[in-house]
Amino acid sequence: MTERAILLKKLSAVEFAAHELHIYLDTHPDDVSAGKAMNEYDRQANALRLEFESKFGPLTPGEDGNRWAWISDPWPWNNQED
Amino acid sequence: MFVYEKKLQYPVNIKNPNPALAKIIISQYGGPDGELGASLRYLSQRYTVPYPEVKAVLTDIGTEELGHLEMVGTIVYQLTKGLTVEEIKAAGLDAYFVDHTAGIYPSAASGVPFSAAAMQVKGDPITDIHEDLAAEQKARVTYDNILRFCDDPDVIDPIRFLRQREIVHYQRFGEAMRTKCNGLVMVMNTYKLIFVSEMLSLWKELCIMLYLVIYILHNHCLLT
Repeated sequence: MTERAILLKKLSAVEFAAHELHIYLDTHPDDVSAGKAMNEYDRQANALRLEFESKFGPLTPGEDGNRWAWISDPWPWNNQED
Repeated sequence: MFVYEKKLQYPVNIKNPNPALAKIIISQYGGPDGELGASLRYLSQRYTVPYPEVKAVLTDIGTEELGHLEMVGTIVYQLTKGLTVEEIKAAGLDAYFVDHTAGIYPSAASGVPFSAAAMQVKGDPITDIHEDLAAEQKARVTYDNILRFCDDPDVIDPIRFLRQREIVHYQRFGEAMRTKCNGLVMVMNTYKLIFVSEMLSLWKELCIMLYLVIYILHNHCLLT
């Protein structure tokens, strides 16, 4: 795996943990410990996202940065390990 | 509004094209129990739902389904990359190819184009959530059926992830239902009816109580 694919996988894993807790909290809004865990995963995801974007270009269109990096491959449907 | 994130929810990196597999997996792109129908169903149902938990679940799960649509599209795209005419013919993908080339078109495995006729937005929370619980199970079975035809770990891995999400979503919809849409609320409404109509005898009331207890136990078993 490339460094890019490894970092992307790491970010996706942490983002997924945060998302899973987020939808759990939709039906359990008073679960404080789940809320705390979600905030911790969100914090880790933000740090990994910044690291990824500084190395490999923006993940969302709103951020300033290299316009060429935004329009360039790989897009999500491309094999990230090629 | 929606903001795009230039990544998949779960990685899809398929090394070997397999048009025969693409031909069946496309059903989860635009088929009757596919991800496009799922996202449209939840994102359309949420407008008239009166409960905060259910609004949130429909919005968040509907949005996640859009991410799943992108994953299924990616799987089909990577499975149909760089094919020769002979490979397309041998896999029986020629009928699709003549209309769509290697484009990703929302259709069922049978070739029937995507249709909103396979979903419902009833505007009634109990009805809509029951539809959603059924939809998650229908999608789960479709992924189970797809897995019967898969022998490539690069394909099995993301399909298993998608299958697992159907189960988690089913759980969340079940909780949304229990929190807001059944049990106590229905019992209270029925009691109001009983007190208003003084014609009811004690015997009838007991029968209704028994029916409610059975109804709640039944629901509880279904949703736990």
